[in-house]
Amino acid sequence: MSFCLETYLQQSDDYTILAKQTGFKDCAKLIEEKAKIIVYINPGEKILGARIIGLPPIPIGVDDEKGTVMMPYTKPCYGTAVVELPVDVEEIDKIKAVAIKK
Amino acid sequence: MKKALILLGCPESPAQTPMALYASYKLKKAGYDVTVVSNPSAMRLLDVSDPEEVYVHSKTDIESCLENLNEGDFDLLLGFVHKDAAVAYFVTFYHILKTKSMALIFEKDATLLEDFEKQVAENTEAQIVSARAYHNPTPIRVNLDKAIASLED
Repeated sequence: MSFCLETYLQQSDDYTILAKQTGFKDCAKLIEEKAKIIVYINPGEKILGARIIGLPPIPIGVDDEKGTVMMPYTKPCYGTAVVELPVDVEEIDKIKAVAIKK
Repeated sequence: MKKALILLGCPESPAQTPMALYASYKLKKAGYDVTVVSNPSAMRLLDVSDPEEVYVHSKTDIESCLENLNEGDFDLLLGFVHKDAAVAYFVTFYHILKTKSMALIFEKDATLLEDFEKQVAENTEAQIVSARAYHNPTPIRVNLDKAIASLED
């Protein structure tokens, strides 16, 4: 079964919220500062079973050793958060496959 | 018939619901088949304001709309932008649809208004329709009227 970010965040507790209820630009900056590897993607790209909301280019932090990704997560009434969550290698590969140049 | 998508933001702004009904009314008169996309709380305000769906008869949830949205699905995107998250959603819809787009930006704080305008201008080629407004929808309505009239030219 493919990964679904929305369901994962509702049903799991092994993710970390690094920022919440803030602006997209601050979240992008945080990811760029904290991530080991940064992959940039276009807004609306489907990764981890969800369309990613934001301003281009959207940074996604990747930690191949830990097997985690750090990404912005936006909701209309709650602003943008940054979440770091464990994902399978295949999901990391899918993110890298849709990467764009900054 | 041309198709327009009205993208609503968080319903916290008092001008949003009346302006959504008004924009739908104006776009229908301009020949568009209108769909409004919003989160559930914004949709509930529309449901109560327009119980017989006189002004808005096609409504869809933002998550399912995003999931199934494709380039070219609509001829016009009209996004309501009055929060940082609304800027991010508008830019995202713009990049998926790649269609003629209009950002209706309204905020009571002049600095925030300018920041939203700047972010939309830097990340899209959308037409910007902005007004410093909160409770009073008139400045937004006046500017929207001009923008919709320009669509018909």
